[in-house]
Amino acid sequence: MNFPALISQVLPEVVLVVTALLVLGLGVGGDRAGKPMRGATGRLIAAAGSLLAIVLLWSVEATAGTLIAADALSRMSKTAILAMGLLSVLLPPAKGEIKERGEFLALMLFSLAGLSLASGTNHLLLIFVALELASLSLYLVTGFPRTARAGEASLKYFLFGSVSAAFLLFGISLVYGATYQGDLARIGSMLDSASPLAAAGLAMMLAGIGFKLAAAPFHAWAPDVYQGGPAPGVAIVASASKVAGLVVAVRILLLGFGLFGGSAAWGALAVGWAPWIGVLAAVSMIFGNLLALAQTSVRRLLGYSAIANTGYLLVALAANDGASAGAALYHITGYGFATIGAFAVVAAVEKNRGSDSRDSFSGLVHRSPLLAISLLIFLASLAGLPPLAGFTGKFAMFASALKGGGTGLAWLVILGALLSAVSLYYYILVLKCAFGSDEVGSELDVSAGHRVVVLVSAVLVVGLGMMPSPVLHGFVSALADLMPG
Amino acid sequence: MNPAWTFLTAFAGALLVLLLPARSAAASRWVALVAALAGAGVALGGWSARLANPDAPVWSLDLPWIPDLGARFHLAADGLTLSLLLLTGIVAVAGILFSWNVERRPRAFFACFLTIIGSVYGVFLSRDAFLLFVFYEIVILPKYLLISIWGSTNKEYGAMKLTMYSIGASALILIGLAVAYAASGAGSFDLSVLAAADYPRSLQLWAFPILFLGFGVLAGLWPLHTWAPTGHVAAPTAASMLLAGVVMKLGAFGAMFVAVPLFPEGFAFWQPAIAALGVAGILMGALTALSQKDLKFVIGYSSVSHMGFILLGIASANLWGLRGATLQMISHGIIAGLLFGIAGRVVYERTHTRDLGKLAAFDLWRTLPGAALAFTLATAASMGIPGFSGFVAEISVVIGLWQSNPWLTVFVAFGIVLTGAFSLRALHRAFFPDRRDETKPAKPLPPLTKPELIAIVLLLATSLAIGLYPKPWVRMIDEGLRSPLFESLSLKP
Repeated sequence: MNFPALISQVLPEVVLVVTALLVLGLGVGGDRAGKPMRGATGRLIAAAGSLLAIVLLWSVEATAGTLIAADALSRMSKTAILAMGLLSVLLPPAKGEIKERGEFLALMLFSLAGLSLASGTNHLLLIFVALELASLSLYLVTGFPRTARAGEASLKYFLFGSVSAAFLLFGISLVYGATYQGDLARIGSMLDSASPLAAAGLAMMLAGIGFKLAAAPFHAWAPDVYQGGPAPGVAIVASASKVAGLVVAVRILLLGFGLFGGSAAWGALAVGWAPWIGVLAAVSMIFGNLLALAQTSVRRLLGYSAIANTGYLLVALAANDGASAGAALYHITGYGFATIGAFAVVAAVEKNRGSDSRDSFSGLVHRSPLLAISLLIFLASLAGLPPLAGFTGKFAMFASALKGGGTGLAWLVILGALLSAVSLYYYILVLKCAFGSDEVGSELDVSAGHRVVVLVSAVLVVGLGMMPSPVLHGFVSALADLMPG
Repeated sequence: MNPAWTFLTAFAGALLVLLLPARSAAASRWVALVAALAGAGVALGGWSARLANPDAPVWSLDLPWIPDLGARFHLAADGLTLSLLLLTGIVAVAGILFSWNVERRPRAFFACFLTIIGSVYGVFLSRDAFLLFVFYEIVILPKYLLISIWGSTNKEYGAMKLTMYSIGASALILIGLAVAYAASGAGSFDLSVLAAADYPRSLQLWAFPILFLGFGVLAGLWPLHTWAPTGHVAAPTAASMLLAGVVMKLGAFGAMFVAVPLFPEGFAFWQPAIAALGVAGILMGALTALSQKDLKFVIGYSSVSHMGFILLGIASANLWGLRGATLQMISHGIIAGLLFGIAGRVVYERTHTRDLGKLAAFDLWRTLPGAALAFTLATAASMGIPGFSGFVAEISVVIGLWQSNPWLTVFVAFGIVLTGAFSLRALHRAFFPDRRDETKPAKPLPPLTKPELIAIVLLLATSLAIGLYPKPWVRMIDEGLRSPLFESLSLKP
């Protein structure tokens, strides 16, 4: 093994860890005068570290590999993860919510390093270790505000997470027992007849991944974390963590177990993982959308809509097809930026009005036109309206799923399209508060950090929607490279 | 002139209005008017150039857009498209003139209005199913905002109902398009490619109704039409004009240009059902209109009735039928715009009631003679009196229907009688009431303003022009019907 080459391939993660240690040190030690680090300084350093990581990522040539797979897929997904991380660390937490700024930022950066590593490996063991690095950091990040709600959220997140991690690890050990392999590409080529041991292992791994993606019925933590966690931490949980989870799912299912997909097609069900993914998709879409209808807390609403959104992603995965998975990765990218933006708006409103209930958004358009119009963009994208990323993503996923998986998948697509129509209802209720009221209140005090994050996210959501090609093609061709044959 | 400027000017106008300083009502309406005039001018220029030179190659623009999905930025403007663009332009200008008095949040109002206009232009120009759907869906949020912020009567309910019907219908369209895309195997969303593909009959039988229903809901297909009267009554005047005048036509356009060409065998199978629903729409719409108390509800249900003719024309699946359907899109767009404009703006803004019983007290034919005259002429046009566009359109549909399902024309004849009945009832009650007490003169009302007058004249003149000299319109429409999209129907004169 050539260590300099190996190091050059994990440079982004190295940079993240070094930045984390730097802000940690600054947070504990303070500056030369002994004053504690200012929040903005730490956030800027963390953002600069993320930016540097993206630059370094693209400065190294892409190569295939096992433990560290610096392939096109990992480059695309790491870019998305790091960009989402950059925006998330820039978000200022609520006043007085975070006392240990250095530790908080360092944990966010550690989680980003974990997510980034997880999306860039074809080895089951490193997938587990990297996901645990991310998860442990995120449990702590969620519980950072010393409120009962954050504590509850953190504990729930931790309990669900550790059980699902146990499932994931047990699944990995079963697969290893069946194949003596941790390398997904080799597992894919070795397993030519269904082994019951490997099938059991895969089923357990699915539970672990279902948790990461917040697919029903592994979703129960999501609304609480979304509601109780600090905005910057939730932004990572809702975006970058989802991207990494999806990349891991794609690598495991398509690369490792592509031959065991079976079929989720109506009337032509065949044994394999695809029917199970189809069921998870259907349950997540129904459950997430219907429960979101009843929410008045916008944070919780976003939590349930995240569950529904995972359902749409799983429709594309159920096709067991590279182009559909590429479309799903494109979709989660757009989704991630829309969610970060939405959380930035929610955080800014909370800061001024003290609540994230729908009513506190009333008259937003008069109080801050920038926030209101951006919120319109984010929610319209989440609802799947053009010309925004959410529309293009859903359309691409559904169309490619039918093309790659056969028109037998129409039952999932029909369910997804109709429930996505239902979702417009709950997003519109928020928009109605923001735009419908004539009440002209005092102008909102929106900090620069919120402004930047909202603006950049809005530009990305519109840009990705109208010009999807670079990202969509990047993911689709990356998967074409990755897939055997 | 490049017809793409129609939607470009509308979207640019919308952006520009938003960038104006707050509380600049006059500036926003002038910007909106200029943008709408520019779009209408482009459409008129394209239309007359095409009329003068019908053998010139059709303008089209075909740029790569999303290669991984096979979606292209493909626009084309044949005679039929240009006729629909011209309709949109005229209704847009009239709508802005009828909303000259909007003082409440004018920037947002006109931005929403222009966004809808731009998307409508875009749908008519699109020759790529994905692009068409993008434009089609952009309309949804501005529609909701226009009704829920500036509307009247039960606006929250009307706005949400209309929006949920629209988005539900869009979900059906998405499913239909995705199925066609996947089953064609060509990896393209180009309408001509999708239409040329060979779909198995079994697939067409279930995919066609999904796609057709998706477009049909927006076209007021009975019995999924109830959003239309509720929504159009709740909407502010300009939005009612726009929604009934052109946005409903998007549904009809999609049904005719997407659903039918893509799945011809499915269409052949479901054709009797569509014809039956069309007849039901004409009769039920007219009967319901007959019993309404609110003048705007009368017009709302009359729209459902008139849209039934479009569906019947499509169901006839012959040259006369499709020609009539397209003519009816244009004719109804103009007439519905006129009726909603007079009822919602001219009358309501002065009397603050639309109740047919209460309007009697205003003695409108004496106090507002201009409006009474205009509404009488519009009613005549709506009833299909020769000389107006409605006659030309409906007679074409009936000829087409006679060729395909002669016995259905009996029901249509009933429908025409009923149309006369509800139109005359509303006209009589609202404008020419029987007043017992002749001694007490009604309170005088302010006369028609200039913008109102211009808008009324513009719409009436267009309807008359089409009615008196339909030849150029028919020629332009027939050009579009010769498109390869309709090859499967073998339209013969």
